[in-house]
Amino acid sequence: MATPQIEVSDLVIRYGTIAAVGPISFVAEAGKQLTLLGPSGCGKTTTLRAVAGLEQPASGRIRIGDKTMFDGAAGINLPAEQRGLSMVFQSYAIWPHMTVFDNVAYGLRVRGRSAAEIRERVGKVLDLVQMSAYGERSAAQLSGGQQQRVALARACAFSPSVLLFDEPLSNLDAKLRGDMRIELRELQHRLGVTSLYVTHDLEEALAMSDSIIVMRAGAIEQAGPPAEIYNFPRTEFVADFVGSANLIRGRVRGELAADSLIAVETAGGEVVHGTAHGRAPGAEACLSVRAVHFSLTAEPRPGGRNAWPVTIHRSVFLGDLTQVHVTWGGRELVVRQSGMQQWTEGQPAHLSVDPRHCVLLEA
Amino acid sequence: MPAPATTVERPRAPTQTLVGAAVAVIAAVLVLYPVVYLFQAAFDVGDPNVRPPEAYGLDNFALLPNYAEIMLNTLGVAFAATVMALVFGFVIAWILTRTNVPMRAALEQLMAVPYYVTPLLGALAWALLASPESGFINQIARALGAKEALFDVTGPLGIAWVMALFEGSVAFVMISAVMKSMDPSLEEASQVIGAGRLRTMLRVTLPLVAPGVLGATIYVFAEMLGSFSAALVLGSPNRFYVITTAIYQLVSQYPPRLPLAAAMGVSLFVVMFAMIFLYRRITRSRSYVTVSGKAFRPRVMDVGRLRWALFAVCVLYLTMSVFLPMATLAFASLQRLATAFPKPGDFTLEHYRTAFSLNAVRSAMGNSLLLGFLTATIGIVLTGLIAWMIQRSRLPGRNMLEYIVMFPQAVPRLVFAFGMMWAWLVFPLPVYGTLWILLIAYLTVFLPLGVRTISGVLVQLDRSLEECGEVCGASWGYRLRTITMPLLRPGLIAAWLLIFVASVRELGASILLMGPNSKVLTPAIVEAFFSSSSELTAAMALIQTVVVGAVMLVFFAITRRAARHGA
Repeated sequence: MATPQIEVSDLVIRYGTIAAVGPISFVAEAGKQLTLLGPSGCGKTTTLRAVAGLEQPASGRIRIGDKTMFDGAAGINLPAEQRGLSMVFQSYAIWPHMTVFDNVAYGLRVRGRSAAEIRERVGKVLDLVQMSAYGERSAAQLSGGQQQRVALARACAFSPSVLLFDEPLSNLDAKLRGDMRIELRELQHRLGVTSLYVTHDLEEALAMSDSIIVMRAGAIEQAGPPAEIYNFPRTEFVADFVGSANLIRGRVRGELAADSLIAVETAGGEVVHGTAHGRAPGAEACLSVRAVHFSLTAEPRPGGRNAWPVTIHRSVFLGDLTQVHVTWGGRELVVRQSGMQQWTEGQPAHLSVDPRHCVLLEA
Repeated sequence: MPAPATTVERPRAPTQTLVGAAVAVIAAVLVLYPVVYLFQAAFDVGDPNVRPPEAYGLDNFALLPNYAEIMLNTLGVAFAATVMALVFGFVIAWILTRTNVPMRAALEQLMAVPYYVTPLLGALAWALLASPESGFINQIARALGAKEALFDVTGPLGIAWVMALFEGSVAFVMISAVMKSMDPSLEEASQVIGAGRLRTMLRVTLPLVAPGVLGATIYVFAEMLGSFSAALVLGSPNRFYVITTAIYQLVSQYPPRLPLAAAMGVSLFVVMFAMIFLYRRITRSRSYVTVSGKAFRPRVMDVGRLRWALFAVCVLYLTMSVFLPMATLAFASLQRLATAFPKPGDFTLEHYRTAFSLNAVRSAMGNSLLLGFLTATIGIVLTGLIAWMIQRSRLPGRNMLEYIVMFPQAVPRLVFAFGMMWAWLVFPLPVYGTLWILLIAYLTVFLPLGVRTISGVLVQLDRSLEECGEVCGASWGYRLRTITMPLLRPGLIAAWLLIFVASVRELGASILLMGPNSKVLTPAIVEAFFSSSSELTAAMALIQTVVVGAVMLVFFAITRRAARHGA
């Protein structure tokens, strides 16, 4: 059986009369991982649960491969137990009254597999998540990370064609989360299943996804591969939510445009050159600049565009990075840099940024 | 553009829809059918012997002012009993949650016991202790030279006292829950800012617990308005009636005055329903800052030497409500003729022998246990499914179902049984006068108990535990069997026990509905109290208590063993 794709079209989900999601449409490509990213309440989990069959949409269509799971117009709505997909829950949902083995074997037993086959398959997936030593352990005695692995093993055990993940790492501590991120990604590659992943964690989404959909208030804000989302945010919301960005607003100065760059003049009179990324600038424009793309030096850099004198306002040591707040043209910009350079308040400095990193946002 | 709001039926596994519809219909018939007949009877102004009624009107309600004395009695007793019960509940809740009284954990466990002793046993025991002539307390007082009875438990205050002793444990549970759920940092914040202990108490603690205490007040008052057994045992012999005993009198006298009784029942029902509604409003709108669902360890105040005084207060309450009544019953049941000063030769086991030899008692005991088993067993299946439908399903009408099953809570069981008597008389199945109608009655009146108990456990179960089974491909029945039921086990066991105990000791509904060939134990005890000796009554009451206790122990042992051997 070929790995299917998930196709969601014009999906609308309501709670009473309130539209919680949609209408939204997207496709999760076969064998790839698609991540729904957004703040809490944006409708990402609701969308995932609708794909699983745990939430009933008001209208639209959900297809997995060539099978229709839900079609509002045709009155089709397959119950979750008949959709043949699998899901890892935020709370893991490990059944505390069963052993690890019984938890993992559940989906196989439901499907009436033979005892020998169940033993073999469960053994295999427990190996895969490095939990084979825990089979006879009661599930109630596991640590958070172990529960996470068992939940994963249980979701994979009956070889579902589609895996759904509802913030599976959000209950783990930061260190473990980092490790699990990589393990999950490798597992997904190895199994080659189509996955739909929900998270509010930017790094998680960037690290694990083949493509990302940023959601806000039940609608899709931007969709694309991780690098595209990070480097070329489409809106202020995406720029702000996906990593910290400085938003620079101003009037478009067409006469200063050169070398296929656009020029924006701020209220403070500073001129910033940026890239339109195929978007059409209006009379007013907003540029997004990532805090890490600035460079801050004590001495001025020779020549070039986008270089200004600034004053250091505050410097906050964050460990891997130092976050420096600088006063620039009457407003504050946030700069993040690595390195040993120390700054003191009121110290003059020089700020510069490559125009390719100043991205025009859609109006 | 907004998508058209198409209504899509979610075709669940058909079993779930069918079972859901079936339990909803059963619950609705059980609850609403008798209520309809109760109202019909109340508005029936034609010949009471003709059914269906010939004419409807308000005449029965117009007669009610003639019984103003009974209404005033009811309000007076309920008011006095509520005040006392709240004082007991509040004081002991405060002692056990906020002070370092000795043996706190043990006392807290014991505070549940008065609820199990029941007002009926309490009333029987207190009748022996403090009836004006023969009461042990008054005998002792007279022996010590008192001219008058020291304490008369058969008057309004005495009835209120007995009711309050048992409802006090309910008030305690409700108030201590509020006190326990209060975040101690709210008080600490006040003290850190510089407020003293007293100011903190007045400005922070009291306002925070006030809504909970108000809720408990309303709830307890509603319960008192509908309470029956203490007033029946203590008041009726000297013609002191409250509304429930008056209804019973009107129904059981010859000729019965059913429409008038129904009108009283409907009035009581309306008042209690309004109070329960008010109670739910108050407890629901309570700020969730105080009750965050998290268990706090409340701050415990060091009260020094006073802790022994507070300990004595708790022990005194338990003595009045549990130890003294049980000891009195035991003491009386072992004497030929109960007196405070028995001679050595006066002791006998004769009453126990009589109790066991009476066919009526033996069959009543058998019937009660059988009904208890059936009610509890069918009850947990029914209420378990209802609780699941309310809490978990996406079926339409589940909120309506919740209102329907909680309905019997607002109706005194006696009044409910009255509607049932009326309803099942005309029902095409010949259940009237058999054990079946008692089974139906018990299942109906204990719906709220079962649903509340099981729902309480169900809401604590993470929803995704079941959803995960759903996604894994398990059908509804398979999920219930492999996931929901094993996880609900403690709730199901608790519900079984509560329903069993409540059924075996049920009085208000049983006394109206039992037929001459379908006697049950509790009404038989009351009958014995009125028509034979109080010593025999005491023996029967103790036998009932011991049997119920024994069944509970056996049930515990079996379920624990099953839990150890089971999956």
